[in-house]
Amino acid sequence: MNITASDAILLAHAGFGVLGILAAVWVFVEALNAREENATRIRIASMVVALLMIGAWILGGDWYLHYYPADKALILKGPWPFAHNLFMETKEHLFFLTLILALYLPIAAFEKLHANPKARKMVLWVAMLIALSGFAIEGFGGVINHGAKLALARDAGTGAQ
Amino acid sequence: MDADTSRLGRAGSSFAVAAAIAIVFNTVIACVKDADKPVKTFMASLSGHDWTTQGIADVVLFVVVGLILWKTSIGEKLSANSFIYLLAAAAIVSGAGLFVWYVLY
Repeated sequence: MNITASDAILLAHAGFGVLGILAAVWVFVEALNAREENATRIRIASMVVALLMIGAWILGGDWYLHYYPADKALILKGPWPFAHNLFMETKEHLFFLTLILALYLPIAAFEKLHANPKARKMVLWVAMLIALSGFAIEGFGGVINHGAKLALARDAGTGAQ
Repeated sequence: MDADTSRLGRAGSSFAVAAAIAIVFNTVIACVKDADKPVKTFMASLSGHDWTTQGIADVVLFVVVGLILWKTSIGEKLSANSFIYLLAAAAIVSGAGLFVWYVLY
């Protein structure tokens, strides 16, 4: 088994992102049932979302800056150049939207959600937007990966290096 | 003191506006740096890569605007729904705007 640093960082980036989405869903469900008893749990879960998204940012940023240029060149020469031109370009900027929402979530969750329906509504909206944008980003990652795979498959089929 | 259940707290309201501003700024700067190469070059010169500069600028903008608004009474001037819909609209329009930009660009 040969796992390179590039593989480890990329998979960790995606893993942090998926866990961040799951944590946002956790916050959403807890907020739906906001009570005094789960107030602390909601705040902790919202901080977990922020920390996981920060982790995804740092890991994804490192991979994007140091390892992605080779994949980018490969994708652009392959049959799916839009995997970079559309999906990667959107993904790398859309991520900041998710990150800002994730940083805001613990601030919104700091209010007494069980006593303030409007604050609860804000947390529900923010958690939902984090999960939905996160799912979109994960899907875009799948398209980018497939773009690279198709380029490699075509090179293998033609004997290109 | 009991919370006013029709309004958000000071931090919740001020940082909601800051998040909306940072999210819209992120989409605008993504479009501007693609359309105007000197801007992209300048951003890259600040941190080594334009994407790194953009991310740091987004977070700094969020924190600084949030802290500035936190010192105001913005949360008492607007209803909670105003902040919720402002942030939701900013996120949805900016997210869709990014995708449309790269479809067209």
